[in-house]
Amino acid sequence: MEPDRPLVPSRRRFLSAALVGLSQKSGRAVTGSFVLESHEAGHRLRDRAFAAMPAREQRVPLVIVGGGIAGLCAAWRLRRRGFRDFVVLEMEDRAGGNARWGENEISQYPWAAHYVPVPGPGPSLARELFEELGLFEDGEPSERHLCFSPQERLFLQGRWQEGLEPAGTPKDIDQYKRFSDRMADFRANGAFRIPAGDSLRLGELDRLSMRDWLLREGFDSSYLQWYCDYSCRDDYGCSSADASAWAGIHYFAAREDHDPGPFTWPEGNGWLVKRLLERVGTHVRTGATVCQAAREKNRWRIVTKEIAYVSDAVIFAAPTFLAPFLIEDMPAPQAFEYSPWVTANLTLDRLPRERGVPLAWDNVIFNSPSLGYVVATHQSLASRIERSVWTYYWALADGEPAARRRDLLASGWNRWKEAILDDLTRAHPDIRECVSRIDILRLGHAMIRPSVGFLTSQARRKFTAYEADNFWFANSDLSGISIFEEAQYRGVTAADRALARISK
Amino acid sequence: MTFILFFSVFLIAACGLIYELIAGALASYLLGDSILQFSTVIGTYLFAMGIGSYLSRFIGRGLVARFVTIEAMVGLIGGFSSSILFLAFAYTESFRFLLYSLVTLIGILVGLEIPLLMRILKDRFQFHDLVAHVLTFDYLGALGASILFPLLLVPRLGMVRSALLFGILNAAVAFWSTFIFRHQIGSPAGLRVICLMVLAALGAGMVGADRLTGLAEENLYADEVILSRNTRYQRIVLTRWKDDLRLFLNSHLQFSSRDEYRYHEALVHPGLAALPHARSVLVLGGGDGLAVREILRYPQIERVTLVDLDPEMTQLFSTNPMLTELNGRSLLSPKVRVINADAFPWLSENGEMFDFVAVDFPDPTNFSLGKLYTTAFYRLLAKHLSASAYVAVQSTSPLFARTSFWCIVETIRGAGLKAHPYHVYVPSFGEWGFVLAGAFPYEPPALLPEDLRFLTPANLSNLFDFPRDMQPVDVQPNRLNDQILVRYYEKEWSQIAR
Repeated sequence: MEPDRPLVPSRRRFLSAALVGLSQKSGRAVTGSFVLESHEAGHRLRDRAFAAMPAREQRVPLVIVGGGIAGLCAAWRLRRRGFRDFVVLEMEDRAGGNARWGENEISQYPWAAHYVPVPGPGPSLARELFEELGLFEDGEPSERHLCFSPQERLFLQGRWQEGLEPAGTPKDIDQYKRFSDRMADFRANGAFRIPAGDSLRLGELDRLSMRDWLLREGFDSSYLQWYCDYSCRDDYGCSSADASAWAGIHYFAAREDHDPGPFTWPEGNGWLVKRLLERVGTHVRTGATVCQAAREKNRWRIVTKEIAYVSDAVIFAAPTFLAPFLIEDMPAPQAFEYSPWVTANLTLDRLPRERGVPLAWDNVIFNSPSLGYVVATHQSLASRIERSVWTYYWALADGEPAARRRDLLASGWNRWKEAILDDLTRAHPDIRECVSRIDILRLGHAMIRPSVGFLTSQARRKFTAYEADNFWFANSDLSGISIFEEAQYRGVTAADRALARISK
Repeated sequence: MTFILFFSVFLIAACGLIYELIAGALASYLLGDSILQFSTVIGTYLFAMGIGSYLSRFIGRGLVARFVTIEAMVGLIGGFSSSILFLAFAYTESFRFLLYSLVTLIGILVGLEIPLLMRILKDRFQFHDLVAHVLTFDYLGALGASILFPLLLVPRLGMVRSALLFGILNAAVAFWSTFIFRHQIGSPAGLRVICLMVLAALGAGMVGADRLTGLAEENLYADEVILSRNTRYQRIVLTRWKDDLRLFLNSHLQFSSRDEYRYHEALVHPGLAALPHARSVLVLGGGDGLAVREILRYPQIERVTLVDLDPEMTQLFSTNPMLTELNGRSLLSPKVRVINADAFPWLSENGEMFDFVAVDFPDPTNFSLGKLYTTAFYRLLAKHLSASAYVAVQSTSPLFARTSFWCIVETIRGAGLKAHPYHVYVPSFGEWGFVLAGAFPYEPPALLPEDLRFLTPANLSNLFDFPRDMQPVDVQPNRLNDQILVRYYEKEWSQIAR
């Protein structure tokens, strides 16, 4: 595999500049910037540099900290159970968290999470919510919300091929078959479920990495290993050498074999955020950064810049690692490691030329350090699409997360832009002539890493079971898997616990 | 020397007649009605020659220089005449104006030639010999041209290159005249430069003729391409062979004027004739206006809405005389509203109801077009149907693409509609399939419009009978999330093509 070194110009670019004495055909001027920057506010929180002297005080029985999917689903659950006396405090200008979205003159587009697999027929929270949102018609998933065909393609050996599994030699194909059979066995034994919840049967699979498990089981096909590594980077932001085998297997074994979906929308999971906000938006306070949460007598005092909320209970749906910065005596969640990410939205004034099967929803470049791109206009009903927005994902999976976070902040927009365009140029030689704008989102703590041992760790158990002083954690990071269903499960579970305590 | 002089007369006479023939042939080719076109073109041309002859009296000094200049101009204008006319037909709406302007201009210049030449030669020959010889070779040239034109030039060179070739001959006459009459010209060098420039331009035209009319495409298309246009959405090509006009979109045959009535009658009448109370009709695709032509046969229809993606397509079929003749000027009817939009989003954003819908999309050759054949599409369409409405869907060939055809039927059923498949034989397409869909069972109508060319009430029910080799096969419905139809279609047509 090629080293993940985005900021060094590619060999071809370097040679063309040095030997030919000409820079590469530069294409058009590309505009754009970093967007939705949050690290400064985050670092001020970390350094306890907020001096909030709120003018007002408000009494509210329950405060939810964090307006991402977990917080919004907690709110959804509370409203469904008839409870209305709560607020959701969101630090950003818009709710949504990792399901935030943007919009330009061409399309809406996601900034992070962009799909949810179709929930199985059995009862589940996701099924309940999706039925309510009209995503099922007569028990069948609604076609307009399912990912249109073609869904996935892979750029391999100079052309695009259908699907994400690289077509290889008979040995590779044989190993795929064997791998797929093993995953079917895991699926059948029922241990790998979505949401994974807390009653996990983890066994020894959390004590070795996905990569080591593959080697132990004799899966030495480099194509299969690439595919599993890609899956870990895609779902967890870390390589298969860092992800626990349990999490790596969960990616395959927890999903239905013949999934008709997934559900997806131009704005990604922002579509779900909008529907949730239609139901609970009146409770959401945006731009409400919590600077401090302190226990006073038998109540919580949640301090934001303008208002201090005095509540009986708190659901902490923001990332768990933030808790010690806000709450005195809260131990740091040491085992919680988060992956740094870059997401870019590219505005294309025309589609580039390419070889192989046509543009799909999810487009992955083999052996690229990035995760490829998702096409925001893919769910358009139009038969003719001339301009588009591509959402390009890049998990900084290699090396120490802290070091990669420093890289992330040290490099300017221009270097990220060049690195992204260089990566895409492999599959689309004329990409520079098509792109007019690149907006880039840098996330230092994009998602939790299910590193080896994390799921079985005492530290994780401590936070999932935390119950002192009417305070519950609810972020999906408690699950070690940053997906919609986990966030929903955590939010709903915390809401149920809070209601049980408050109504007493 | 004498021979060369009279050979020149022979050539310029031939050239003059060729330009006239080309103008007449092109006009009847592109506008139809050859008697009218030839009569008016010949009349205009002869009259313009008369004007030229009259104007020759105003030319006094420098006769030879004037003669050479005129020859070069005839060569240039006549040589490019057919290129200009082809382009005008494809890209402007002022074809007739340009046609008669060109004919008049060339006629005037050609009318100047013989009187000037006779005056130049008057000192070399006895007058009675001169008149006899010049006119003899003039008429001989006309004979040669009129024989060469249909037998050799049009079939071998085509109109564009024939005109250019004779333009070159004209300019060549001008060029060697500067040598023959060099003692009667003050400074021949300037004239020679002009002649060479004209020759170079015409030569370049010969080389670039392929691009001018898409002659390259004549290799692809069996017949002569008379119009080819790249729009934002597609490549529109029109070919003609005798009375057979064919339209190709992105190289796929859309219709042949010889048998399109079979296709369009079959698309419209089985459904619409069964709906005596229909008032409002929707046509999706079908920017050629041919389905609309059939719909307008019903006087009770008050409103036809045509939704086609490509404005250039509907514009072409609203303005081009040859095409409006074919569609009966249907797109210009006050009952017809033309909307240039993508059909699926248009339906999704629009709440109108219709009593009959004709769906005439291109075949599902790719995932973009495949969206228009999905259960999601038909479900949406069903929401736009009034209570008793029918939809007729062009559904590719049940013989060549049997699985694809029955997949469309299954898809329509999957969307909750009753589907009544039928088929007709269209010689230029082969066996072709349609599906009539609606909320109710279907009974073929007892009455059809009277002036149809293909369907009769008696043969109507036969269309719904499928012989063994076209009978249903086991298929899945086509959904947005699997687009199985595009895969079926690709597989089936690739087997046919092999």
